[in-house]
Amino acid sequence: MSETRIWRPGGFIADDPWHIADANDVPTAIAADARLIVPMQTYLELEPEDRQQDKTAVIAAPDDDVGKLEQHFANLALIALTFPAFNDGRAFSQASLLRSRLGYRGELRATGDVLIDQVPLMQRCGIDSFSITNATAIRRLEEGRLPGITAYYQPAAAPSRATGTYAWRHVEAPATDPA
Amino acid sequence: MKKVLTANRLTDGIAVWLGPNGEWTENLNTALIARHQEAADALDEAGKSAFNNNVVVDIAIIDVEEVNGDVYPVRLRERIRAAGPTIRTDLGKQADLEPANAA
Amino acid sequence: MYRYDEFDHDFVRQRVAQYRDQVERRLSGEIDETAFKPLRLMNGVYLQLHAYMLRVAIPYGTLNSRQMRRLARIARDYDKGYGHFTTRQNIQYNWPKLSDTPAILEELAEVEMHAIQTSGNCIRNVSADHFAGAAADEVADPRPYAEILRQWSSNHPEYSFLPRKFKIAVTGSERDRAAIQVHDIGLHLKRNEQGELGFAVYVGGGQGRTPMIAKKIRDFLPEADLLSYTTAIMRVYNLYGRRDNKYKARIKILVHETGEEEFTRQVEAEWENLKNTGLKMPEDDLAAIAAYFSAPELQDRPDGWTIIASGKKNDPGFASWVHQNVTPHRHPDYAAVTISLKPIGGIPGDASDEQMEVVADLAERFAHDEIRVSHEQNLVLPHVALADLEHVYHALLEADLAIANAGLISDIIACPGLDYCALANARSIPVAQEISERFASIERQRAIGELKIKISGCINACGHHHVGHIGILGVEKKGTELYQITLGGSGDENSSIGQIIGRGFEPDKITDAVETIVETYMGLRLNAEETFLEAYRRVGPAPFKEALYGDKAKAA
Repeated sequence: MSETRIWRPGGFIADDPWHIADANDVPTAIAADARLIVPMQTYLELEPEDRQQDKTAVIAAPDDDVGKLEQHFANLALIALTFPAFNDGRAFSQASLLRSRLGYRGELRATGDVLIDQVPLMQRCGIDSFSITNATAIRRLEEGRLPGITAYYQPAAAPSRATGTYAWRHVEAPATDPA
Repeated sequence: MKKVLTANRLTDGIAVWLGPNGEWTENLNTALIARHQEAADALDEAGKSAFNNNVVVDIAIIDVEEVNGDVYPVRLRERIRAAGPTIRTDLGKQADLEPANAA
Repeated sequence: MYRYDEFDHDFVRQRVAQYRDQVERRLSGEIDETAFKPLRLMNGVYLQLHAYMLRVAIPYGTLNSRQMRRLARIARDYDKGYGHFTTRQNIQYNWPKLSDTPAILEELAEVEMHAIQTSGNCIRNVSADHFAGAAADEVADPRPYAEILRQWSSNHPEYSFLPRKFKIAVTGSERDRAAIQVHDIGLHLKRNEQGELGFAVYVGGGQGRTPMIAKKIRDFLPEADLLSYTTAIMRVYNLYGRRDNKYKARIKILVHETGEEEFTRQVEAEWENLKNTGLKMPEDDLAAIAAYFSAPELQDRPDGWTIIASGKKNDPGFASWVHQNVTPHRHPDYAAVTISLKPIGGIPGDASDEQMEVVADLAERFAHDEIRVSHEQNLVLPHVALADLEHVYHALLEADLAIANAGLISDIIACPGLDYCALANARSIPVAQEISERFASIERQRAIGELKIKISGCINACGHHHVGHIGILGVEKKGTELYQITLGGSGDENSSIGQIIGRGFEPDKITDAVETIVETYMGLRLNAEETFLEAYRRVGPAPFKEALYGDKAKAA
């Protein structure tokens, strides 16, 4: 098992501040700057002062109703979703809902069994951060080789450009200007 | 107890059996037959290793019997794998081999 | 029919390149079988008993002569000279090398074909009425909508890892030839009182281990809302469909366990949020896709009526074929021709490369370059002038393709079964062959009338046995094959699931059992017009049980 690394479009993040809480970390008082990722239900039960951007973030399980997070978006810098196995696709819908329906703008991270061939689909559903252990995935990303298809037959959460032929068709949006 | 190790070759998917020299044979009659538990365990190890080395997929140890020097799988499924489709005797291994293995 | 534009070509080329890269990674050992399997499946590559199998999509069963010739060439160059047409209007090759599959997909891409999503837990090939665009009873052609669904579902980022596979069927006629009520989503295209087009939406039908008839969750969905409503259904399914048990993972179980009313409420609630998004289809787009499917320009050929009349008089074989395999067309001088792939004693659905070439030639010369694959594993030439029928018949006769048995007892659907399939428990094809030989006489078949026998070699029901008038399910019992019979199933607009009639039959008894059932029906039908299915629905299973099991049935 190789180490877990965080990748975001642009490259691997060397100093990701977040770590996933273990059983001892919660729900005892959370220090400022703890950067703790806690399960969704735990998060919802925290004292309001612990639900701060620099203290806590959420990891949602595939059967969590992510709609319950909407009222906390202002305090959430990161939501992590879970892909327990390649064939469990619920988090694709959770991501789509968070981005397209609920308007979540913070970091949206894929965790679990994140494989290289799925990364482009995850990106299209609005996931922009990837916690990766798989060696092939890490190497491919280091080499900048993402195996995606840039012609889309359907709109999705990630920005894309309509082709002008049929309303449902899109192509990859040109890279956005650096802010 | 008589057992052989079977699998499908990775590159072309053709059904094969493990031979006595570690090679994979398309002819069940030339497969290595395990006649006791230790030999069967060795087949199991050989199968895992070949799978891990990406030589074959879908490995399984199957029961066989010998009749007049020819080897026959016990289950119909494996007999069909060893011979070819019963409804197209011009296809599969039965097309090239002696008819002895036909299901 | 639909033609690829640059966008489609680009998409398929990228997809083939992606797959080629995956196969290279696999062959070099960079990825193992566990990681590779879902990737190859999503490109139609299975591993069967003898070799790999490649399933090529034939979207809604429509293809042209160039595509058919390419299918023939692939059969010749990469396989063993034949292909198998399936109940999902696709074609399967039984012997391709994994290392050849990227090249095969490239060959397909050249003629606007692919194998995308012919397996895996994603939205599969969308199927449709095989007489679409030709049928006299059609309200509108369902294929433009099937094509739109094909596009929308291709490489869908949200719905590529569903709980289980997902099948959509569309029909545009009251007479349902696409079996929509046994699909995950069934769409019945119709007009409302204002004359607008839309769909009755059925959800949660299916066969397999737990057969169910779909529930109609909406009587009229405007055509512009097709994609938004389908997206709503898919989202509810993707989030809440069961993933703990593969046998309970189809949407039919979710609908059943959630309850029709609550499920419908969830879909409608989701749709409220989607209906006015970019998924709403502009009228122009609908019209542009529909234009691809506009009917060929059919010249009046009134001479055809006298030509076939004299042909029938001179040749009883032709007369019999016209009677059985020729279906009325919306243009009175034309017909849709069913090319039976069910020769007596043959393998249901198989066609040799030469036969595919013959069909391609006929389509080009006589049928406006269109061919269909039916879910009953036959081929169809949808637009043939009556005046040309004799030419077509004689060419088919030469190629052993003029079997006059469409809809009769020897027009059997059968899955590949244990002769090929890694999932099967028993063989299907030999059973079909023996039944077809027993009833070889066309006169006898005609006397029996419409009777659909469907055979599956395992509970996955690829041979649709649940909706066979006589269904046969092969199982393995104590190491040998055993065949269970169900009666009274139907996959049309009045769908029903067949009932198990009693204990199973050994391989050497199953044909006798079928004959007993047929003779019992012949003895009790009210008249020659009462079909087997009508008679069964009238009398129920008792007389058939009695005939099959006699005293033992009473004792049990």
